[in-house]
Amino acid sequence: MTEAKKEGKNEGFEPNIVAFCCNWCSYAGADLAGVSRFQYPPNIRVIRVMCSGRVDPSFIMKALKNGADGVIVTGCHIGDCHYISGNEYTKERFERLHSIIIKQLGVNPKRVRLEWVSASEGKRFAEVITEFTNDIKKLGPFKR
Amino acid sequence: MIIITEIEKKKDSKDIVNDIDSYLSKIYDPNLRNLLRKCYQCGTCSGVCQLSKVQKFTPSRIIEMILEGFENRVIESGVLWDCIMCNSCLQNCPEDVNFADLVRMAKYKMRNIEDQNPEEYIAHKGIYTTLSEIMSESNLQPERTLDWVPKECKITESGKIMYYVGCLPFFKFEFENIDSIATSTLKLICQIEKEPIVVLKEESCCGHDLYWGQGKFEPFIELAKKNLKMFENAGISTIITACAECYRTLKVDYSNLFEDFDKKFEVQHIIEYIYNSWKENKIEFKNPEQTSEPIQFTFHDPCRLSRFLPKSNNIIHKVREIFNHLEKIGYKFNEMEHSKENSLCCGVSSWMNCNERSKALRYKRLSEAKAAGTKVVTSCPKCIMHLSCLKDDFEEFGSMEILDFSEFLVNLVNVIDGNEKKEEEK
Ligand code: SF4
Ligand code: SF4
Repeated sequence: MTEAKKEGKNEGFEPNIVAFCCNWCSYAGADLAGVSRFQYPPNIRVIRVMCSGRVDPSFIMKALKNGADGVIVTGCHIGDCHYISGNEYTKERFERLHSIIIKQLGVNPKRVRLEWVSASEGKRFAEVITEFTNDIKKLGPFKR
Repeated sequence: MIIITEIEKKKDSKDIVNDIDSYLSKIYDPNLRNLLRKCYQCGTCSGVCQLSKVQKFTPSRIIEMILEGFENRVIESGVLWDCIMCNSCLQNCPEDVNFADLVRMAKYKMRNIEDQNPEEYIAHKGIYTTLSEIMSESNLQPERTLDWVPKECKITESGKIMYYVGCLPFFKFEFENIDSIATSTLKLICQIEKEPIVVLKEESCCGHDLYWGQGKFEPFIELAKKNLKMFENAGISTIITACAECYRTLKVDYSNLFEDFDKKFEVQHIIEYIYNSWKENKIEFKNPEQTSEPIQFTFHDPCRLSRFLPKSNNIIHKVREIFNHLEKIGYKFNEMEHSKENSLCCGVSSWMNCNERSKALRYKRLSEAKAAGTKVVTSCPKCIMHLSCLKDDFEEFGSMEILDFSEFLVNLVNVIDGNEKKEEEK
């Protein structure tokens, strides 16, 4: 059975999740979530990047290889990028990564996600992370 | 660079349970001097070294240092990451000292030196080699898309003849149309064979780049074991590949790992396959659009076919026999200035060291090719990617066409079937 189809109960499993957050929107959003005391699971490790466009697809693959169970990349909403069009490149690259690499590798596509979170959306940040963590928990560890 | 994380530790303990160590001893000898004892310091290798043309690099001196007991200094300096693994030195060495093999083993040692960062040397930020490593995970099964398979071809999951695609569908991430190599190869095989061809969705990488490029032998062994199991399950006896690197790995390196690999499976390169079919009178070459003016073309020998195979393998002569025959159908084959065993390197192997120096080597190669003809045929997907990348940067090469052997031949092959022959006899 391929990895993509394996789902089930993984009780007590605490996933490692790497979250790339862009400095101008999502990182500030995460900050806001913290300041406003919205609860979200502590499984994520945030890596601050200047723009979601800085996240090379190879970073995502390396994170998975080195033990992450899921990778989430967050950036400003389309049109709001601090560098005008950085996130548009990210979006394009992500679509390619999903359709060509993730799919053919047999990795469950749910493990890698792209989300837009703005600086004022602290609540949304907490929601996105909670949802993603629950998804990964259901999928179980990437390496067995 | 060592990252000691919990996962890394877990992995180590798993390896001890595995039989990795016994496999490792077959491809790795910790005493580097054993490989070099025959060297008598004639210096030929430093003279022919392709890298020495663009930077200071003297293999004979490195050998001397290791022989005199300064192995640690060599390993610590990290100088061996620069070698482009073209094997020109072995080709010219009077004593058959295998320097590239030494570099491969030294890389395994260099990985563990604290202040060296091999990641710096990996091209494309290491995405493709990371993929190979992920594929070596035992619980992961690739699910390749087969959208490149031409409609008229029948494929199956078990049978006698397999087409081993290699990583082409993954390279599509950055190189559009690279899978047309796979399409043309499969088209050629399907035309000649009556039975459906095995093309597997769950095919893994052969591990060549981990083995030669980064000295990551453990994932290489895992990949090899995975592939062997896959071949056995599909019940195949012949493996055909269109990739020079896969060919060398399956033919030589897998046989080193598994004793009976070469007895169980016959590995053929598409060049050999076409050559054999031609000699057995299964096919002939025809050109539907023959013009009076012959089309000039040339062949770039990939290092994995010209210098990395046992001396008895004459695949580079077979391909020339085919090409010279094409003169009858309106093609004129020209040799480049450096050809066969002496051919120049495309500059990058195993996704390592793509930099201004390797670009200089590539420029040299493409200039030679331009002098010999507008069409350049080669038989290694990586050579195609590297040369095309340079071609796009320079206007002067704009008119050139870089093709794979199978792409070049796909419309020139005509299958002779039994019925036709009988009619001719009447
Ligand atoms: S060519 Fe061979 S014998 Fe001569 S110096 Fe180089 S390794 Fe030694
Ligand atoms: S393998 Fe090639 S680059 Fe490396 S030392 Fe030999 S000739 Fe030079």
